[in-house]
Amino acid sequence: MTSQATENGTQRRSVPSREVLSQTDRVVNAISQHHHRSRSVKLTALDQQSRASEGEKMVSRASSTRHRERSPLRAQPEKQQGENVRAASTESSSTTSAIHQQPKMVSNSEVTLLSTALSPLALRVSPPPLSHQVQGLKKTMFLDKMGIDVQHAVIMEDLLYVLLGSEGQYIRFHERYNPFAEADRLSGPEFRLAKGLDPSLRDLTKNLLKLATHRSSVEAFIEIQSKTEYGVVNHALCAAIRHIMKEYLALMSDMEYKMLTSPSFTLNTFHIETMDMARKLTELNYIVQQISRKEESVAEYADELGTDFDKIMETLKANDGNLNALNNIGISKTTSMITKGGDVIKLLTDRLYSVSGDPAARELLTYLVREASRPYMKMLNMWLHRGIIADPFNEFLIKEQKSIRRERLDEDYTDEYWDKRYTLRKDDLPPQIGDSRTCDKILLAGKFLNVVRECGGVDVSNEIKDAPETIDDPRLLSNINTAYAHANGYLLSLLINTHKLSERLTSLKHYFFLDQADFFTNFMDVASHELRKPAKNVSTSKLQSLLDLALRQPGSITATDPFKEDISVQLNEVGLTEWLMRIVSVSGLDPRDIAAMQLSTTTPATDKSSERDDKKGITGIQALQFDFRMPFPLSLVISRKTILRYQLLFRHLVALKHIEQLLGVAWLDQAKTAAWARRSKSVPLQKWKSKVWNLRAKMLVFIQQVLYFSTTEVVEPNWCLLMAGISDVNTVDALMQNHVDFLDTCLKECMLTNSKLLRVMAKLMSACRLFATYTTQLSKTLPGIDSETADADSGAVDKVTRLESILLQYEQNFDHHLKILMDALNYYAATETVVLLSLCARLEVCMISEARNGL
Amino acid sequence: MPREIITLQAGQCGNQIGSKFWEQLCLEHGLSPDGNLRTDLPTVGGTADRKDVFFYQSDDTRYIPRALLIDLEPRVINGILNGPYAKMYNPENIYVSSDGSGAGNIWASGYRAGETLADELMDMLDREADGSDSLEGFMLLHSIAGGTGSGLGSYLLERLSDRFPKKVVQTYSVFPASQQVSEVVVQPYNSLLSLKRLTQFADAVTVLDNAALSRLAADSLRVQSPTFDQTNQLVATVMSASTTTLRYPGYMHNDLVSLLASLVPTPRCHYLMTSYTPFTADLVDQAKSVRKTTVLDVMRRLLQPKNRMVSTQQSANSCFISILNIIQGEADPTDVHKSLLRIRERGLASFIPWGPASIQVALTKKSPYLQSSNRVSGLMLANHTSIASLFKRILDQYDRLRKRNAFLEPYKKHPMFTDGLEEFDDAREVVGDLINEYRLAETAEYLA
Repeated sequence: MTSQATENGTQRRSVPSREVLSQTDRVVNAISQHHHRSRSVKLTALDQQSRASEGEKMVSRASSTRHRERSPLRAQPEKQQGENVRAASTESSSTTSAIHQQPKMVSNSEVTLLSTALSPLALRVSPPPLSHQVQGLKKTMFLDKMGIDVQHAVIMEDLLYVLLGSEGQYIRFHERYNPFAEADRLSGPEFRLAKGLDPSLRDLTKNLLKLATHRSSVEAFIEIQSKTEYGVVNHALCAAIRHIMKEYLALMSDMEYKMLTSPSFTLNTFHIETMDMARKLTELNYIVQQISRKEESVAEYADELGTDFDKIMETLKANDGNLNALNNIGISKTTSMITKGGDVIKLLTDRLYSVSGDPAARELLTYLVREASRPYMKMLNMWLHRGIIADPFNEFLIKEQKSIRRERLDEDYTDEYWDKRYTLRKDDLPPQIGDSRTCDKILLAGKFLNVVRECGGVDVSNEIKDAPETIDDPRLLSNINTAYAHANGYLLSLLINTHKLSERLTSLKHYFFLDQADFFTNFMDVASHELRKPAKNVSTSKLQSLLDLALRQPGSITATDPFKEDISVQLNEVGLTEWLMRIVSVSGLDPRDIAAMQLSTTTPATDKSSERDDKKGITGIQALQFDFRMPFPLSLVISRKTILRYQLLFRHLVALKHIEQLLGVAWLDQAKTAAWARRSKSVPLQKWKSKVWNLRAKMLVFIQQVLYFSTTEVVEPNWCLLMAGISDVNTVDALMQNHVDFLDTCLKECMLTNSKLLRVMAKLMSACRLFATYTTQLSKTLPGIDSETADADSGAVDKVTRLESILLQYEQNFDHHLKILMDALNYYAATETVVLLSLCARLEVCMISEARNGL
Repeated sequence: MPREIITLQAGQCGNQIGSKFWEQLCLEHGLSPDGNLRTDLPTVGGTADRKDVFFYQSDDTRYIPRALLIDLEPRVINGILNGPYAKMYNPENIYVSSDGSGAGNIWASGYRAGETLADELMDMLDREADGSDSLEGFMLLHSIAGGTGSGLGSYLLERLSDRFPKKVVQTYSVFPASQQVSEVVVQPYNSLLSLKRLTQFADAVTVLDNAALSRLAADSLRVQSPTFDQTNQLVATVMSASTTTLRYPGYMHNDLVSLLASLVPTPRCHYLMTSYTPFTADLVDQAKSVRKTTVLDVMRRLLQPKNRMVSTQQSANSCFISILNIIQGEADPTDVHKSLLRIRERGLASFIPWGPASIQVALTKKSPYLQSSNRVSGLMLANHTSIASLFKRILDQYDRLRKRNAFLEPYKKHPMFTDGLEEFDDAREVVGDLINEYRLAETAEYLA
């Protein structure tokens, strides 16, 4: 651009026009589309942004001072404003200006219409060429050759250009500034000030230049953050900032007006009058820098490949291979680096807190937070009250994994549906709802509503009324709490009333705790043949049909159970003790460990020799366990995790029941076989028989006491507590927790979580099992021995002696372990599980006569 | 496939007790006298009962008792057949001797009758056994003093162990009142001969003693001489209580074996005594007003000899071999536990020195069909060595009679005794051994 300082520089108003646009029309024609129509373009820009009242005012003012028709290109955005303002001032001064020159620079400066805008409301005109790149610009008059008044006038005009984003005559962009680079635009241009400016003007000018830098960076921010993928919170923030920028424009036009009309308008007044706005823009700029810096750092450090990949897969799945999916991939790559949603609100809020001492800044930030949070709150309310996520840009605090479907609950031990389908974006929670209790409530509220909705047909929407629209609304928390309570109430009533949770639990109690064990006795009767086999030879389908038979037996209590269809037989190849030992050895009873155990049992990779031994030795009855198909949504409360605990308890009880039955069979056998029941003539044999009976009786008493303890003193009271709790419970999570607690307590009190007790119990139980089988087998040989001893056969004495020694081994083994158990029980009753005291006392009551007689 | 139990009622006494028992079961399961489910009762939630242990359903869905009613004289059975519950029984299962002469209180003629009727009786047994899927055992109700119950009952016991060698046989045997002068002079003979079979062929014998029953009835009903109807009601109550865990299945004791196995550690010592408390108007007409019933109260009272349904003479050494308490009603397990500790502290029950002190508790619900005014009631089944005193008394009475060879003529008419009285001597030896075994069981030498 060429320009010339005029002679009549003393006259402030008659600023010399460098453009030499004496005839406006000529200029318009010559510069064609680009350099012209000053106000009108500014106005169009204003119009375009919003037709606020100031805009209208401007229009009227502009049209009053302007005698030129509107530009045909009024749709062209404001990037040209710098030029335009200049043109305007030129124009206004042209009447007084005597100096005219032909424009020469025009041919080089090309500004083109971009085919696509960066964002919907963004400029579609490419940035004008930079002054230092344009050749043939005529040297301007040097400042140092001007008087201070001229400098003042020149610099004032330049400032107006610069403050609207263009280069001025004496104020140019720094060479480093590249208007095509996003980063440069966001940080705002630096300016070079022509040499020779009077120091008195220079400081003020520099101050005002800061405003110009900030203004540019904010403008750039608005454009960039308005891109679709930046999400609605950013869009809302941009809209809010645009609103401020409109004020800025109004202020600038006011400044220009004053400059043109008021002789008393000096650089100083200019500075003073823009100070408020400068502060605002400084603040905005700060935020802009924060957000863009954060994005940079995320872009640099984020190792988001994994999540990105997930997202891509997700999109692919969701769109079912649609082409769109492929397009989205590109976006999703960048979106992960974008600061959006809660993060933006968080950033703003943090800033709000830190500037709370500054009323102006606070007002500004409060405004920004409020406006930016509107769409966020809309999403939040949808989620809280409807359970719907309308979040196309993944900026909401809840993340939905659509790929996790509820069908997977059946086989899934980790409860993925419940835990992973909806997750919190923990990193970018707005601080207003950021504390863990609140955000958990938010998560759960919507989650519950979703569950209820998935269960079909029910309208679960809570009427959204009086919901806070902005995040600084004081009703925010109470709204969350209400929604949480409502969702809880709905899901609880769904679980308890519609899906009959209590009845389900009662069914589980029948099947897993055998509280009405008649069906199981039947099952053991009919399946005894199958259950005796080694576990790996047992046919599950056969057992299943036998179980069905037992369950459907008319007259049996289970025949009327509505959920008997849901039960199925499984064989677990790992023995209960072995399994529990592995769980216990991991660390307590962490659900994840159980899940891990489950996995490891299904994969036959482990090469522990003990496991192989175990597998070899285990029989069908020891491997037997039931499974219960739990329909959604009950499967949330009675999840695989809890079913697993039921199974553990079940196997414990079954083991006891089985041994009780074995001992019962032995009893009947001994009562019914003449060789046992008749008095033997041989005294040693008779004594031996009495001892066998006694040991059998002792074992039976022991087993029955443990069984009584496990059922009547552990399961039943805890069960009653659980049932009583169900009606009192307010939240679904508390319900789930109660249920898990119940099971854990039962496991613990049944001595299934302590490795020492487990080991001793296993020893005792196998001793009982072996002895029961041993004596039953003896029934075949006993008649022979009996008659031999009766005949005083010498060989028979040896046989009896051998029998005695075997019996002694059994006896000592049992007594030894019983003693260990009693000691261990005493110890653990005192240290951790008080209930064991009761078992301990009962065993003492029963076994004390032993101690008395030193048997 | 429930563990079915077939009830055999032999003789006057057996049938009388039996009919009371079935009446009681009908009440507890909400059945009307004709065996249909009563519709006039309010539907009770959670009626988890198993009727098919003792009943089977006929084609017209009536519940029919798995019971054989056998008598050699028609009076009692005719009474039943003319009573309100007549339609309930399967007529095929009722056998009344055609001549109606009875066994004349002679064991031998009862036994003989059994032999002659063997085919008919076995047909009935087989049919009934075939009708059950997994027969668990038999319950014989009889008295051992008379002719039919003792004689025919003995014969049935022998045949049962023969025909069903692996089935549990439990009896409810009414023993003669000891103190009173008996109207049947040959009572000791009958008792002794029956005792031999009970010892050899039964797996558990619940001993009921007419004297104790009368005393208990008199005590709870405050009448001078209670009727048989009233004492039989007591027996029916005890029987129904001892089968609650079978009919209302809980966590444990859902079959007969698991009930009896711990009670009867050694095969021959299988005589059980019972206590029940409290007898109230719900169970027995005109009973005393209800006393306070806590678990501890109930368990303590159960141990008191005066509440036992059999009178025995306790010696200093006599002790429990085992105890099973069946507590019905709303009992808190912690109360049970406390009571057990209390019993142990106070030494209320002494146990055999050589074996486990098996004191077990089964908690059961009360029948939802019965309105009961007391919270908790309890039944004790106990194996106590003092039962031997009862046998000793019978043995002494027998010895006195036998010394004089009195009243042996009616026995000698029957084949078993025509060639000699070895059967008596054999029975005496068996019972003598039994008494010795019980006595030995009171000492630690039992195993040594």
